[in-house]
Amino acid sequence: MSEASVSAEPARLLGCESCGLVAVDLTGAGAEEPLQHCRRCGHALRAQKPFAVQRTWACVVAAAVLYVPANVLPIMVTTNALQREEHTLLGGIRDLWIEGSWMLSIIVFIASIAVPVFKIGVLGLLAWTVQRAPDWRRLERARLYRLIETVGHWSMLDVFVVILLAATVRFGPLASVEPGSALLSFAAVVVLTLFATWSFDPRLIWRGADATPSRAEAVA
Amino acid sequence: MSRDDDSLVVCEQCGQPHRWLPVNKREIAHCTRCEAIIGRGHRLSVTSVLALTTAAGAAWLLAVSMPLLSLSLRGGAETATLLDAIVAAWRSGQPFVAVIAAITAVIAPALYIALRLYVLVPLAAGRRPPGFAACVRVLHQARRWNMVEVFTVGVLLSLVRLSGLADTSPGLGLFALGAVTLLFAAIESAGLKHLWWQAG
Repeated sequence: MSEASVSAEPARLLGCESCGLVAVDLTGAGAEEPLQHCRRCGHALRAQKPFAVQRTWACVVAAAVLYVPANVLPIMVTTNALQREEHTLLGGIRDLWIEGSWMLSIIVFIASIAVPVFKIGVLGLLAWTVQRAPDWRRLERARLYRLIETVGHWSMLDVFVVILLAATVRFGPLASVEPGSALLSFAAVVVLTLFATWSFDPRLIWRGADATPSRAEAVA
Repeated sequence: MSRDDDSLVVCEQCGQPHRWLPVNKREIAHCTRCEAIIGRGHRLSVTSVLALTTAAGAAWLLAVSMPLLSLSLRGGAETATLLDAIVAAWRSGQPFVAVIAAITAVIAPALYIALRLYVLVPLAAGRRPPGFAACVRVLHQARRWNMVEVFTVGVLLSLVRLSGLADTSPGLGLFALGAVTLLFAAIESAGLKHLWWQAG
């Protein structure tokens, strides 16, 4: 083990988000000042992100609502000499699968369907458990949060692919690709889930938890 | 080095305080409570990060200015650069998507490289640049919004998808973008908080 835990009692310690310097929390009971700043870099120190759960809920609900038009409306419109076709997100994945591009189909499915749905679900679960079931599987919830933090921006993949195809396939009536109206909702879903992830405070998962867990020796 | 000031570390993910013990090379320090990574033994010096950032900057200029892929169909040929993709999105009635793509694929990485250079050049000479604290804060934001690696995979996917339609070939910009992605991964392993230790 590389670190030894030190007791946070009696004073609570805060780490600066920007420079990492640790300071004693002066904003608790009998607050001397409403907002404390890091003495080295001047960044605001907070024991909790403000309105973390409310903001997370707002972004998650908005993302879930916008995910409907993102799937129903066409995300890409292709034109060739014979016809003009509108492709939805799921339709595009199905076409790739039928064409035999299984790898592509799976990659697009993971980035555009699996990741956003998983993120919306996990963020909803995290926000709900903070309010209703604070003791439930804290370590697993902390791991889930880190997972969505890491994979989150990969759902932007299909947005990039559509605008790249639109920029490259420009042969007028012979062959052209245009972004469809679902692209706006889909990009908004991605951005909203990012905001939801950033506004959630993983420290809330540990509120009321024992500061020195029995698992400590297992974390070598 | 002001490591004395940094004898303690508070886990960003759960708020648990720890005391630093020496971390060997190749070792990763995890939080004893939530298992988040709180430190790495592997440490890059200011000059090596500066070298990597300079290389990333050079590759970056190629990645934005050179064609990412080209497509030929019945005598006609089209190439697309990163900026073409953003302009195409804007023109086809998707200004929001164009702005998001510009932020995540152009502005955030450019800001990240520019501010790293602005901070690292004086640090390598043993000085702290004016506005250092603000730069580190903006760097944290730029790092969050940077999606160069996703964009790179997006170009590869587009290339594969188009190969069924017509003759496609990867452009110089795509290779440069791949280099930027790898260099970013190396630079990010150095972390941003260490800038403060190195700033003395």
